[in-house]
Amino acid sequence: MNQKKRAFFPGVLALVFAVLFQVQAQQPGPAVQPSPAAQPARPAATPVQQPSLKFAILGDTGTGGKPQYEIGEKLTAIRTTVPFEFVIMLGDNMYGGDSAKDFQNKFEKPYQALLSAGIKFYAALGNHDVPDRQIAYKPFNMGGQRYYTFKPKDGIRFFALDSNYMDKKQLDWLKSELKSSGSEWKILFFHHPLYSSGEKHGPSLELRKLLEPLLIESGVDVVFAGHEHFYERIKPQHGIQYFILGNSAKLRKDGITPQSEITAKGFDDDNAFMVAEISGDEMSFQTISRTGTIIDTGKFRRVERKTTTTK
Amino acid sequence: MSLMNFMIKRRFWSIVFPCLLLASACAWNDAAVTPVQASVFQDDPKEFETHIQKYLALQKKAIGTVPSIPKENADAALIAKHEKQVADAIRAARPNAKQGEIFTPGVRRSITMAIKHTLEGKEGAAAKATILGEGNPKSDGLSPPVNVEVNAPYPISAPFSTVPPSMLMALPPLPKELEFRFVGRNLILRDTKANMIVDVLPEAF
Repeated sequence: MNQKKRAFFPGVLALVFAVLFQVQAQQPGPAVQPSPAAQPARPAATPVQQPSLKFAILGDTGTGGKPQYEIGEKLTAIRTTVPFEFVIMLGDNMYGGDSAKDFQNKFEKPYQALLSAGIKFYAALGNHDVPDRQIAYKPFNMGGQRYYTFKPKDGIRFFALDSNYMDKKQLDWLKSELKSSGSEWKILFFHHPLYSSGEKHGPSLELRKLLEPLLIESGVDVVFAGHEHFYERIKPQHGIQYFILGNSAKLRKDGITPQSEITAKGFDDDNAFMVAEISGDEMSFQTISRTGTIIDTGKFRRVERKTTTTK
Repeated sequence: MSLMNFMIKRRFWSIVFPCLLLASACAWNDAAVTPVQASVFQDDPKEFETHIQKYLALQKKAIGTVPSIPKENADAALIAKHEKQVADAIRAARPNAKQGEIFTPGVRRSITMAIKHTLEGKEGAAAKATILGEGNPKSDGLSPPVNVEVNAPYPISAPFSTVPPSMLMALPPLPKELEFRFVGRNLILRDTKANMIVDVLPEAF
């Protein structure tokens, strides 16, 4: 009996410690090809394969201040070399009010050239946005909903979430939509980042705990978030590429925790915007500052994962 | 091994082993990630539901009295005008509405219990920080004051508090025409169509 116990306890102990100290091995993420140091703006080094989808990203835009207008000008200018089809907005689209004048000064005027060219904007809600005024505002293309999905091209699907109010209804909707989206590119965008090296806000841990298992299980490829007023490309987490872009008008200088282990690239010196292209299984991106300097660029392949599908 | 030694070791393991199992179970639980808490809103759900349905009927009637606009509209001024018309019609339909008509004492008890439950422990502290953090109109002293009164408009220049998912899962679900928000520690029931405060639960935590 004693001998059996002697054999039994170490075995149990090993099991218990294995559980206690289990190492959650990170899945290999999409390998991002190295980004060069800051350099003057040039035509985006986007793949020439066809067909592809090009889009732009803006976050925390709605100040109506000079930096927002300057970013608007740069975004318009870059379209001559990267003819993106639409823009996604990562929330806080209107600071300090949602009156008609605000919509003019903080959206219509800064992006007038793009709107006139027929470029569509797809907005997500931030904590400074009055939800029902924005979801009803046609140029935000939210379809009258706080959260929605759209498919700009076969095989690519975007999901806009309201991270400010993640109730069961929205979560159930997301589960259902992700499940039915099969093996498409799945790109999520919302306001609060799941991962962040921000000194002021940091990551939304509860939201991460809620969403991340679903994102992994559903094969989500890319997540864009704002809220933090800087740019950060996070090292891939469980095969998902995360970007923070919350400095398209606001700016928190020195907002990124130095030497953060999750930062692949950070930029908190100036305002910025992004352009991206999806071609086949590859996404390339460029992050460009207000002065026109490329501050980050790279490309990555989507990670092949088992996806849940009803088809 | 002497009998004494064996007894000591047996006692040791009888204490340590359950502790280790418990610790491992906790770790496992944490790793398994089951964030959707069961609602602790046990008392008076029907009472709350009845009040909500009654309000929705009033809201629907009020909306019916104002000129309708398309679901989506490029004219932001028209959207704002419609919102004000709806709010005015609702106020006219409930001019004597008082605090506590929806958050009745029973409902209030259940809601505060659900909130208290959500804000317990380490994760609760994070949830509390989320509620009181940026977005809450009282977080930085820079936001315009929100008049936390029944039938008062929610200022369009004020930000919105983030309501943690765990709390939304614990509170009774609301139709899209209504939502819970916090102003400081006060819980408000906000009409999303009229951008108006429908009821207030002061000092909810």
